[in-house]
Amino acid sequence: MLEKMAFIFLTIRKNVFQWFAISFFFTVIYYMVLMLSLILRFGNLPNYVNEFNWVENVKTIINSTPSLLDTVMIVKDEWVFEIGYMNYDFGSGISEWSLFFAPAKILGVLFLGCLIATNYLLLQRQRRVCTDACASVSSAASGFGALCVALASITMSWVVCCSTPTWVVGLAMMGLGVSTSLWLEPMGLWVNLLGFSVLLGAIFAAAGRGRGASIILN
Amino acid sequence: MRGIKSFFCTVLLLTFFSIGAQAEKIRIAIGHQSMCTDTYTAGIVVKELQLLEKFLPKDGKYKNAKYEVSWSDYSSGGPITNQMMANKLNFGVMGDYPLIVNGAKFQATESLRTKYVAGTGYNLKGSGNAIVVPVDSDIYSIEQLKGKSVSVPVGSAAWGMLLKSMKDTGIKTHEYNLKNQSPAVGAANIAANKIDAHGDFCPWSELMEFRGTGRKIYDGSETGVPYLHGVVVREDFADKYPEVVTAFVKAVYEAGDWIREDPIRAVDLMEKWTGVEKEVLYIYFSQGGHLTLDPTIKPKWVDALKFNHGVLVTEKSIPALDFNEWITEDYVKAAYLDLGKDYQMEKDSLVDPAISNAKLPMEIWHSREGISSYASIDEFLAAIDTFRKTGAKLNATYVYDVETGLKLFGKTAFFVKTDSGFTTFLRKPDADNFASKKNGKVMDMESALATLAS
Repeated sequence: MLEKMAFIFLTIRKNVFQWFAISFFFTVIYYMVLMLSLILRFGNLPNYVNEFNWVENVKTIINSTPSLLDTVMIVKDEWVFEIGYMNYDFGSGISEWSLFFAPAKILGVLFLGCLIATNYLLLQRQRRVCTDACASVSSAASGFGALCVALASITMSWVVCCSTPTWVVGLAMMGLGVSTSLWLEPMGLWVNLLGFSVLLGAIFAAAGRGRGASIILN
Repeated sequence: MRGIKSFFCTVLLLTFFSIGAQAEKIRIAIGHQSMCTDTYTAGIVVKELQLLEKFLPKDGKYKNAKYEVSWSDYSSGGPITNQMMANKLNFGVMGDYPLIVNGAKFQATESLRTKYVAGTGYNLKGSGNAIVVPVDSDIYSIEQLKGKSVSVPVGSAAWGMLLKSMKDTGIKTHEYNLKNQSPAVGAANIAANKIDAHGDFCPWSELMEFRGTGRKIYDGSETGVPYLHGVVVREDFADKYPEVVTAFVKAVYEAGDWIREDPIRAVDLMEKWTGVEKEVLYIYFSQGGHLTLDPTIKPKWVDALKFNHGVLVTEKSIPALDFNEWITEDYVKAAYLDLGKDYQMEKDSLVDPAISNAKLPMEIWHSREGISSYASIDEFLAAIDTFRKTGAKLNATYVYDVETGLKLFGKTAFFVKTDSGFTTFLRKPDADNFASKKNGKVMDMESALATLAS
C-alpha cells in the first residue's frame, strides 16, 4: 500500500505540470460541456451573468448559523457566479436556465480532474507497471467513477417551483424522466462517494506491480 | 491635575453616551416573486408602495433604529429558501408547496428554523393551478390525457394538483408521460404545439389563454384542495425583532386593502411593476377574481398544507415538518390588533367563488373607456357586437363558469345557447352535458356573437 502511494506521488511529482494541466483543463472542459449542453438543449445563448460576493456571504453564514454542520451544508451550496438565459417574453424576465458555479462543487470537480490526471499518468505506456488487463480494468473503472462524480456534480438550474438546484435537476433538464430523477435525487452523495471510491480503486490498481516491473522510487 | 481628571471623565461619559445613542442598523431582506400573482400583496405591492417602511416601528427599542430594507425578485420559491438559509434573506414570500419545503428544510437543520407568519391570499378550491393544452388541440378533458405527454414544474403546487387530478380521474402514473418543465419552457412548448398538455401555477395558464396559445382543460378548483400563498420569516430574526414581523404583516393587510379599493388602478400599476399583462392580473385581483386576499391562517389552510406535505413526502422524500412548531398566529394577530381589525371574524370567513360569484356581472375591458359590466350574457354579447361595429379595441372580456364560479376570458369559454339564453362554461364536457340536458347548442364566443346577426 505504502509502496503504491509512494509510486503514485512520485509519478505526479515527476510530471507535475502535465498533472496540473490535465486537472485544470478537465475542470474547465467539464463546465464548458455543461454550458454547451444547456445551449444545445434549450437553443439559446446565455444572456445574463450574476456575480456573488462569496467571501462576504460565507462570513454572513458563519456568523448567523450556530451549528457547524449546518454551516458546512449551507456554505457548500453557496454560489460565486451564475450564467444563464433570461426569457423576457414573460413579465420582466424569467430565468429559463442557468449554470452556477459554487466553489465547493468546483473543488470537487477539480479533485475529480486530479484523480483522472493521476490515473492517466499511471496508465501511460512508458511508465505503466500494471498488467495490460489490469490497465484495461483500471481505465474502465476510472471512466465509470468519473461519470458518477461528473453527474453528481452537475450545477444546472431552472425555474421548477419547489426544487432547489440539485444534481438531478441538471439531469432532468437534459431529459431524464420525472420518476427516475425523483428516485435518484436522494442518492447524490452516494453516487459521488461511489465515483470517488471507484476512481481511487482504479488508481491503486494502476499503481500495482503486475508484470514483474520493479517500481523505481527515486 | 483635577482639571485633567474631570476632562477625561467628561470624554469617557460622552463616548459612552454616544455609543449608546448610536443607531442600530436593522437589515430587512425580503425575497418575493414578481411572476407569481398570489404573492403580490406581500411582495411587489408592499415594495413599490413602501408599505413596510410605513409600519416599521420607530419607538421604544427601535427609536434609533436605522432600517435597511432590500427586495430580491426570484422566479420561484426554491432559491428564496436557499437564500434564507444563508441568511441573505429574512423574509420569504411563496406558494404552498415551496413554503412546506422551506419549513421542512429548516427543521432538518440542527440550528435554524423559519416561522410561517401570515398568508397573502387563497383560492378555496384550488384555482390558480391549471392544465392547459395548445389552443388548437382536440383534447378537451383530463380523461383524454391518457397516453399523452404532460409537462409540469415538478415540485410546484401545479405538480401536486396534476398528480391528484390524474389520480382522481383514475389515470395511473405509467399511463401518461410526465415531463419536468419550467413555466417558460412549458408555455413555449404549448405555443409551438410541442407538448400535449402543460400544468402550471398562477398566472401562467391565464397568460397562455390571454395570448391565445393555450386553452384550459382542467382547473385546480376541481381537486378541491385550497391553493394558498404565505410569508415565512427566519426564527432568529423574528425573535430579535418581533415588531418588525408584525409591521410586515400590517403591510400585507394594507396591500390587500389597496388592491380591493381600486382593482383597475392596482392591475395597471402591477403590470408596470411586473411586466405581467393587466388583463391577466385582473382575472386574479378583480371582484370575483381567482384570489381572495386574506392574511389570516385558517385551520383549513393547515389541513391543506399537511395534505401537500404528504404528497411531497411520498413523491420527493422531503423531511418531516412539525406544523405546530412552524406555524404561528402571534404576529398576524398582533398586526390585526394594532390595525383595529377583527382577526377572528376574518379568520372565520371563507370565500367560495361558486357562491360569491354567482350573481356577478360579465365585463368588457374597452381599451379607451375602461371596464363596463353586464348583468346577462346576452347583454354582454350585444355590447361586444356594438363595440366591434365601431372598430373599438377590446382588451379582454370576462365571463364566469357556471359550475365553479371561476372568472374566465370570454374568448376561451364555452357558450351554451338554450331557449332561456346563454350560459358559459370553462370545460367543454360540462358545456356538452348542460347542452344535452337543456337541448342547447355548444359554441365558442365568436359563434355566439354570430348568432346575434342571425
